[in-house]
Amino acid sequence: MSGLADLTLGFIPLTDCAPLVVAKAQGFFAEEGLEVALSREASWATIRDKVGVGALDGAHMLAPMALAAESMLVPLALNQNGSAITVGVKLAALLREADPEAMAAPLVTAQALATVVERRRGQGAPPLTFAVVFPHSMHNYFLRYWLGQAGIDPDRDVRLVVIPPPRMVELLGSGEIDGFCVGAPWNAVAVDEDLGEVLIKASQFWPGGPDKVFGVTAAWADRHGDELRAALRALIRASAWADEPGNHAELVALLSRPDHVGVEAEVVARALKAEIVFHRDAAGLPRREHALWFLSQMARWGQVGPDADLSAVADRVYRPDLFREAALSLGPVLEPAQVFADAAPPASALFDGKAFDPADARGYAASFAIGRTS
Amino acid sequence: MRVLVIDPDPARAALVAEGLAGVQPLEVRRAAVFDEREAADFAPDVVVVAADSPDRDTLESLREAGQHNPRPVVMFVDRSEPGLAEQAVRAGVAAYVVDGLTPSRVRSILDVAISRFALTQQLRGDLAKAKADLESRKIVERAKGLLMKERGLDEDGAYRLLRKLAMDRGKPIGTVAADLLAFAGVLKGDAS
Repeated sequence: MSGLADLTLGFIPLTDCAPLVVAKAQGFFAEEGLEVALSREASWATIRDKVGVGALDGAHMLAPMALAAESMLVPLALNQNGSAITVGVKLAALLREADPEAMAAPLVTAQALATVVERRRGQGAPPLTFAVVFPHSMHNYFLRYWLGQAGIDPDRDVRLVVIPPPRMVELLGSGEIDGFCVGAPWNAVAVDEDLGEVLIKASQFWPGGPDKVFGVTAAWADRHGDELRAALRALIRASAWADEPGNHAELVALLSRPDHVGVEAEVVARALKAEIVFHRDAAGLPRREHALWFLSQMARWGQVGPDADLSAVADRVYRPDLFREAALSLGPVLEPAQVFADAAPPASALFDGKAFDPADARGYAASFAIGRTS
Repeated sequence: MRVLVIDPDPARAALVAEGLAGVQPLEVRRAAVFDEREAADFAPDVVVVAADSPDRDTLESLREAGQHNPRPVVMFVDRSEPGLAEQAVRAGVAAYVVDGLTPSRVRSILDVAISRFALTQQLRGDLAKAKADLESRKIVERAKGLLMKERGLDEDGAYRLLRKLAMDRGKPIGTVAADLLAFAGVLKGDAS
């Protein structure tokens, strides 16, 4: 009736898929004239491949995965916060015994870990194993940064593995892994089952820091400008809806459904209330400085070569202009001051207070005591 | 041939075993989920996984990490998604098989995947070596320049000195050159 194409959008069962699920369930896509089918996918690699070849029109994505792919665009950030570093209860007890003071303050818990890592080395014990969800992910850089800041080399002093989010808790329980960094609701699930303890949350690691994004290919965006604008408008409205405390009960019921995240409502509710921001504070704006921070960490850990032009990659993939165009057309849903929030001074620093200058992402990448830049 | 089939459903592993009947020696092992250590112990010649398995990210990360012992991965999709095969192959999957698996095709698919993987590994190795050689040549050039300046040698003399240092220490000339540059940096007060 509207002349817009039908869309299929992919998501991974995580709390931050909420804007997609809400936009469909609340009829925001339909009001924009879009007929959208949501496709729950099993892995990030499959999401990237399917969007890459057009089997999906767009998807819930890991921001660094979009930056590392050949031709992705990020016209919208889906959320801030939600991920956390959790360790098994056994390791948590060891950490508390090794350094009770460090364990009492979330920002320095890694120092207790450094003591235990050192002690284990002295005893000839095998390295501790930590899991993340994907090599190109906020979780990987969050965990690596936090370890590195305490003098723990993530490639030498511990063993890092990749595990799909729904399996993290089970493997923590069986002792296969000693800790993980993953998004909501899996940290809350581990705590709920008395299997894990959260050491630091993303909101403590980097207040206002970035997390998941909505991604499409550049070629798709070229051909489907109208559909993209319509989808962005629906997703921005959905994000605003999801932030409203009055909608939380409904949001929790929606997310906990087996065809969405499939986790008990109570656990979804806890992670949601404490942490995740979808819309306020311009959370939807895909900020260039966030892209450059991700790229700096990709450079730090040797995922991008020394010749790559990081600024050019950030500008090609992150498209705040597309966000702006859609957000401004919605009027009062988002104030212009928020839409242009990235013109203001850079967002807050990371937990260690180290300054990040987006104009010198390479210099920043090389400035850490632990890294793989040379 | 050692084949690791990652699938919660035993049917696919049975099918693979049936298709490989007659291959000697043969060991087909099935795991519901991929376990890195288990896989390292088993050292399969090829890993078979369904495209809709959550273990894809784990398998991809092993390739990403330049794993000391990478394995070809064969992936199956039961319903055809045009183009997905090519994309997955570009992302490092050795073979992508559309429309499921029949015993009669198993043998040839796995054989092709293993040989294509070996070829890709060799190309990757050649490329890495070419890059390293180039890098090493640049470092040798810089070390030569340093010796010419500091020791007043000509180019030929500087190269002979480097070669002698390398022979005396039993190290590649590139390594000796890199050490020399690093020491020069420290003496000049570069933080490192």
